[in-house]
Amino acid sequence: MTILQGIKNKVRARSIHVAYVDVGSCNGCDIEVLACLAPRYDIEQYGIFVHNTPREADILLVIGAYTPGWEEKLAMVWDKIPPPKAAVAIGNCPMSGCLFDRRGSFVDPPVKKHIPVAAEVPGCPPRPTEILQAILSVRDSVFANWEGEHP
Amino acid sequence: MKRTVDVSIPLGPIHPCFKEPARLKCEAKGERIVSAEVELGYMKKGIERIMKGRPWQEVMFLAERVCGICSVIHNMVFIEAMEQISSISVPPRAAYLRVIANELDRMQSHLLANFSYCYTIEHETLGMYLLDLREQVMDELERLTGARVTCAYIIPGGVRCDIPCQNAELLQASLDRIEGDLRRYAGMFADGPMIALRSRGIGVLTQEAAQRAHAVGPTARASGITADGRLNHPTYRQLGFVPVSRADCDNYARIMVRFDEVALSIRLIRKCLHALPEGVIRGGGVCKAGEIRYSGEAPRGELTYFIKSDEYGRIVDIQIQTPSIMNIEACCHDMIIGVDSIADVTSTFVSADPCIACTER
Repeated sequence: MTILQGIKNKVRARSIHVAYVDVGSCNGCDIEVLACLAPRYDIEQYGIFVHNTPREADILLVIGAYTPGWEEKLAMVWDKIPPPKAAVAIGNCPMSGCLFDRRGSFVDPPVKKHIPVAAEVPGCPPRPTEILQAILSVRDSVFANWEGEHP
Repeated sequence: MKRTVDVSIPLGPIHPCFKEPARLKCEAKGERIVSAEVELGYMKKGIERIMKGRPWQEVMFLAERVCGICSVIHNMVFIEAMEQISSISVPPRAAYLRVIANELDRMQSHLLANFSYCYTIEHETLGMYLLDLREQVMDELERLTGARVTCAYIIPGGVRCDIPCQNAELLQASLDRIEGDLRRYAGMFADGPMIALRSRGIGVLTQEAAQRAHAVGPTARASGITADGRLNHPTYRQLGFVPVSRADCDNYARIMVRFDEVALSIRLIRKCLHALPEGVIRGGGVCKAGEIRYSGEAPRGELTYFIKSDEYGRIVDIQIQTPSIMNIEACCHDMIIGVDSIADVTSTFVSADPCIACTER
């Protein structure tokens, strides 16, 4: 690894922008993501910024069990994120539908059918520390030694 | 001649200020909002359809997941409705513990709503203070119930676990700490000149408009309507509950009503701890057939469950009426109309504390 690459990796690992999209959850995971902002967990000390705009995001946190309202729209949001990018599924809902995936419901889990998901955090809802840990575990595998897509 | 441009501005579903997806379509003349319309449908899961035909043991957990922010009140209203149907009586100690859990949940919900508002008007310092205060409330909720968000604390005939003596003392001590901090932060909000510029006189919902739109909860109480579902609850009546209200009708009043309600919740929990009766926490009972319409006061307003069950305790029919839909309508048709800038649209919308997950279920 060259020195330049080392500097790039170091800088990229300290600047992760996060957007979250709720595709039909109970809100419990949303507020646990918001709780990560609190001074107790302090997500910004790791260089992670929650801006919630897909166009400047690196990591997309997907929450919820994929309702019909998000057909096509979630893929559009995913396309708007510039590479390198990764999606993290927060909670049981995007993994399996949790208790919403029953006869009569409108949801269509898992989310990884619709967009590629890099990491999954189980829990109903997971604790803020677990969400933080998942984002930190994804950043090295996705952003290290990334050199752009050559035509 | 000066030409005014009519602009159509969509906000959402993904927006830096919104916690949940909702699309707000505004028609603006210059920067002044002429009309607004909300477009929902991003969160529809069909919870009521799943609930039908299932035993209450399953529906109890589904009811809690109608809304993650105010999960305790959904649990409480569903279980109390089942108790009314089956004439199950609750031991007095359990009734007081329910009030403690419910008020802790209300505190964290109101603090989160006020954090969102402060974050939206870009007063991040106060927002972070409030979020930190909320974490202390979440700790108390976790110590009492065992979970942070969806705790399933209330069960028919009582509550799941008791509060030991040393935990009651810890709760008492941390309430003192929270009250001190809350007074300081509420003072910061009340006296901040920049906050007043962004909040006072913006998003006015007059008392007549609030009545016309059937606004509920803190949104209605900020418009001078002293309606509170807790007045009809037997345990709250024993505690001598008096609802708060304000007559300013603007964003500032809605946030201050929430601050006042957090202080009121602290006083109610203190009264509960002081008068906590000794005895069992579970009375037992069997869920039976019946039909009832039962209401409770959620952090956002009146929450109503209509339940019909059969003789095995299965839910035959269920309808849920959540408070946010009335507040969202009041917000679109009255509060947002005529605000002076686009930046005030988001802050006004957030000040009504809309909960889209509740609304669409």
